Amino acid sequence: MTTQVQSGGMVNTTLMGGGALLVVGLGLALANLMTGGHASFNSGSDGVTWGLPVVNYVFFALTSTGLTLVASLALTFGNKAFYPIAKRCVFLSLITLVAGFASLALELGHPFRMLFAVPLNFQVNSPLNWMGVFYAVFLVLGVLKFMKLHASDWDSDTSKQVGLAALVTECLAGGMLGMAFGAMAMRPMWYGTLVPLYFLLTAACTGGAFALLMTYLTYGSESAMPEKVRALVQGPLPAALAAVLGFTILVMGYQTVIGLWSNADGMQVWDHIVSTPWFWIEAGALVAAFYLLVSRSSLMVAAMLIILGLFINRYEFVIGGQLVPLFKGTWVAGMISYTPSITEWMLTVMAFGIVLAGWAFGEKAFNLSDAPKE
Amino acid sequence: MAKWGMVIDLEKCTGCQACSTACQMENNRLPGENYQDVLFYKEGKQPNPTLSWFPRPCMHCEEPSCMHVCPTKATFKTEDGVVLIDWNKCIGCKYCMIACPYGVRFYTDEKPLHEPNIKAVFKGEGDLSWNPPYKGPQQDATHGVGIQPNGVVSKCTFCYHKISKAPKGTPDLDESNPALVEFVPACVRTCAPKARYFGDLDNPKSQVNQLISAKKGVRLLDHTGNKPQVYYLTGSGAAGGAIPSNRSTNKA
Repeated sequence: MTTQVQSGGMVNTTLMGGGALLVVGLGLALANLMTGGHASFNSGSDGVTWGLPVVNYVFFALTSTGLTLVASLALTFGNKAFYPIAKRCVFLSLITLVAGFASLALELGHPFRMLFAVPLNFQVNSPLNWMGVFYAVFLVLGVLKFMKLHASDWDSDTSKQVGLAALVTECLAGGMLGMAFGAMAMRPMWYGTLVPLYFLLTAACTGGAFALLMTYLTYGSESAMPEKVRALVQGPLPAALAAVLGFTILVMGYQTVIGLWSNADGMQVWDHIVSTPWFWIEAGALVAAFYLLVSRSSLMVAAMLIILGLFINRYEFVIGGQLVPLFKGTWVAGMISYTPSITEWMLTVMAFGIVLAGWAFGEKAFNLSDAPKE
Repeated sequence: MAKWGMVIDLEKCTGCQACSTACQMENNRLPGENYQDVLFYKEGKQPNPTLSWFPRPCMHCEEPSCMHVCPTKATFKTEDGVVLIDWNKCIGCKYCMIACPYGVRFYTDEKPLHEPNIKAVFKGEGDLSWNPPYKGPQQDATHGVGIQPNGVVSKCTFCYHKISKAPKGTPDLDESNPALVEFVPACVRTCAPKARYFGDLDNPKSQVNQLISAKKGVRLLDHTGNKPQVYYLTGSGAAGGAIPSNRSTNKA
């Protein structure tokens, strides 16, 4: 089976739009960082240490994991219905990871020192280290797998082994990212042995959403899709995504109720979270997306709603765990007031720009609609 | 080898902040960023509010979570039990600030905690975050001592530039002993009511060891398993110094 390479759709528009976002976001962020350093961020020692750039990283790194999970349905588990989007998902998993890394690198105090200081002084106890190792290994395996697919090597033993190894490292990386938060017993908002599982579940949501959205952007509309692609986006893909999203909504609901119910120190932040309109926008977006997925209507909107809802969720999780200050006495407020700065938002714009422009470039250069011949 | 630790007698502490000021001067810190602080807690409501205070240096934990999470081993524990940061290895990921239950770590490359921005007035040379008119200890980046460079995290060193030069086998670094006074951490040396004691926790003859035993010294947030090497003597708690039950300040 082969699918026709699409030159239409919204590829060119997205390439220009994403490129503009990348140029504006990166340009403004770099200008502010070079003139004001990290003082152009609103994070600080007295409050939120990890700000919006870390939210970006968590969002896009986990999206990369999710896209690998979607790709694996065909490439590792042999579900042939998913072949038409497998190559696109592998490429997107690389691009989203680059977007996440870019945001994180501009947040670090010494990103270049990291390149040699981590391998030379490897701390085996640090979840952050293992997450970095697994994502770095995945980056290599993902590129190898993509090269295999681009050479139309879909089914050789080597190709399958590389794909399986990439899937395993992505799952370990996403899980380790969850552990980086979940191991923090001193912050009950984050603490929990199941946080890695929660991260993988929500990763599958954003991965599926990006797979759906980018497939629609590729062809422009369902009527322009080849038959097998249309069958996929009207059948197994939204069905699987709805199932994963349904579980995610349930988990988030329990998380919220437990957060509101618990008196553990630091959990007061949940009262704050549910009092913000963002929480209700998130809830509304995810429930509406679930409905659209189940009813198989406006699936592109559903994908965008999932991306919006999950981005808010990442923000609530990463920032929320820091809003109750650690032993600062009356010097600081009982609940820290944090609003990301323009520079921080520009990193978000930059990351989305990388994903959109990178994907559009991939569509034009690498025929991401390719699938194995029958 | 000694295992340095501190005892703070909350019945003696008056909350005068002399320790914080001494720390600020000794370690070239900016207002609001001194390694040692006395935190004030207002609890309850009018007409019966209570004001309590709590001196809080780095706890130099036996099992420091900040050290375990550091991806480059920039945070490390010396043989004499002090938790330090090697500024040459720190990549500024700030995971240690996330993982420290006590909130005692500082990243200087950020908006000033207090205006005016003194860093803008006394601009740092090279990689250093500022150029204080009075400079404390010699710059020792591998032990996190001196003026904090940009892009790295800093914290209390127990005045490592002083205590590391103390004669071996000394059970206590007592500021009232003229032979030892130069080796005493700044906050201990300056404490007017003598609420602070510094010594070898492994030496049964040390005053810190005896005080912890005799007055039932307790550690902050012991349930986290970090096992601080700073102990607090609470006594009756009538004097005003008290261990906060949690980190939140508005629990009414």
